[in-house]
Amino acid sequence: MELLLFFVILILSLGAGLLLQWWPSRHHPMPTYPQRAPFLGGGLPDTHAWSRFHVRYYPMALLLIAFEMEMMFMYPWAVVYVAQGMKAVMEMGMFLAILSVGILYGWREGVFRWQ
Amino acid sequence: MAVSWLARLAACAPVPVFPALGMRGEEALYRLALSPEIKLVDSPRHASLLLVAGGVPPSMQQALRRVHDQFPAPFTTLWYRSTPLVELPRAAVTTVDSLDALPGALVESHGSLLRNTVGHSPRLLPDAPPHPWQGLGDDGHGGEGMMGGVPYGRPMAMPPTEDLRDGLALDVLTFRLGPFFPLWPPGLEAEVILQGDIIQQFSVQSSPFPRALAPVFHEAREQSVAIAALERARARHHLQALFHALHLAGLEGLARDALRLADRCPSGDIALLAKWFKTFERRMKRRGFFALHLPERGALRQEQAERLGGFAARAAGIDRDARTEDDGYRRLAFATITQQAGDTRARWRQRLAEIAQAFDLAARAQRDDMRTAQTDAVETPRGAWRDSRPGGTSPLLEDLLPGLEWGEALASLASLELAALSPWPREERAETQMGGAA
Repeated sequence: MELLLFFVILILSLGAGLLLQWWPSRHHPMPTYPQRAPFLGGGLPDTHAWSRFHVRYYPMALLLIAFEMEMMFMYPWAVVYVAQGMKAVMEMGMFLAILSVGILYGWREGVFRWQ
Repeated sequence: MAVSWLARLAACAPVPVFPALGMRGEEALYRLALSPEIKLVDSPRHASLLLVAGGVPPSMQQALRRVHDQFPAPFTTLWYRSTPLVELPRAAVTTVDSLDALPGALVESHGSLLRNTVGHSPRLLPDAPPHPWQGLGDDGHGGEGMMGGVPYGRPMAMPPTEDLRDGLALDVLTFRLGPFFPLWPPGLEAEVILQGDIIQQFSVQSSPFPRALAPVFHEAREQSVAIAALERARARHHLQALFHALHLAGLEGLARDALRLADRCPSGDIALLAKWFKTFERRMKRRGFFALHLPERGALRQEQAERLGGFAARAAGIDRDARTEDDGYRRLAFATITQQAGDTRARWRQRLAEIAQAFDLAARAQRDDMRTAQTDAVETPRGAWRDSRPGGTSPLLEDLLPGLEWGEALASLASLELAALSPWPREERAETQMGGAA
């Protein structure tokens, strides 16, 4: 019941927010394309505004998180492994499987290739 | 009711004007910058009035249409000594030919716009994206995987490329800027290739409009003129250039003070002017104007400095000034001032030193009524005018700007005078007063 109430409140507040945003501009058309173009003092951009900007650290960050997280979990795991036995091995197996998806993705993107 | 009340209130506020400067349009800019009822803005997005000041050549009318269409509705246009675009309806056009009537006309147009008694300017360009996205993939992300394809034939930036700063090659961004870009000389149009905020390539598409000088420089080529008048005009020219640099640096109050000082140059008391200038220079230093320009940025090579001539050459250590050949100046014990570094900061130091020197020369020349002795060569603020007028030197930017960050490049550009000298002098009310004062 409480969950339903929260859900109704959420829907109502979201709806009110969208209405508040839409109401004043309901009769205004979108600005024209020339108006929306970047201001270049009469000049024109040669390309679409959606310019690719390569986040160079991205593959490196991906790799760091994959291996770093692994190590962070493995140290405490090694301590409790003797007490927990097979259960701990299973848990670590699941964890490594998830992480290795990230590593495989990075591999596909050429993380291990020196450019 | 509420809307009309708001409109009346808005009409009392300073009028946000975007000036698109054509040929000989600067005089309007300098006038409006000091009008309290006008607020000059650097982007059409913040303005409700487009002021086209000065003639716009037919080749630049399409660029003007683009600027026009970037204004948020409602807005209107005002044309100062310029021919309105033919497709604009008469109701959305006001033309003014008198500089004195210009601020009033702008205020009037703005009021009428808010009261809905004047026609709104219509859109002139078709409502179509200038460059529709042509990328590949469901989201137009440009191809396969993270590395993407080559939309628009632009391959992903990959080493090895030219190392501009730190070896981090970025995707390049190509765009054309100008001719109505407010932060550089009017008329200058360039294709810029940026890599991050570093300029990789700068190619000038059209040179700045020729710059008109005070009539006294033109008179000096024909007859002997009062040195005081010549030096006052020189100081005024440099102060007006300083206005642009201070505006670019965001020092608005100082920029307006530079213009106020420039306005007083033609007829003001020379001792007072020199005193005010000293205070102004101190304030500039305190506000960190020189600290903004890092050493060696925008430094000219020897041959570039020689090609530019004038103060830019002297800032690079070239001891050359046509005034040393004039007997009138020799009697005033004129000595050339030079700097060594030749960079942006040195050019401003040079200009400030030349303004102070101009006030000093004008004070002494006025006391003894000294006149120039020769007409073969005149040292204009743009350089020596001998057999031919100093010409445009904007292609030099293609060598000078690559490798600089965008802000440094704009500051370097503001410190240079690249426009050719106009064959016609500037016609101004204040200039006629100057003749009388001299």
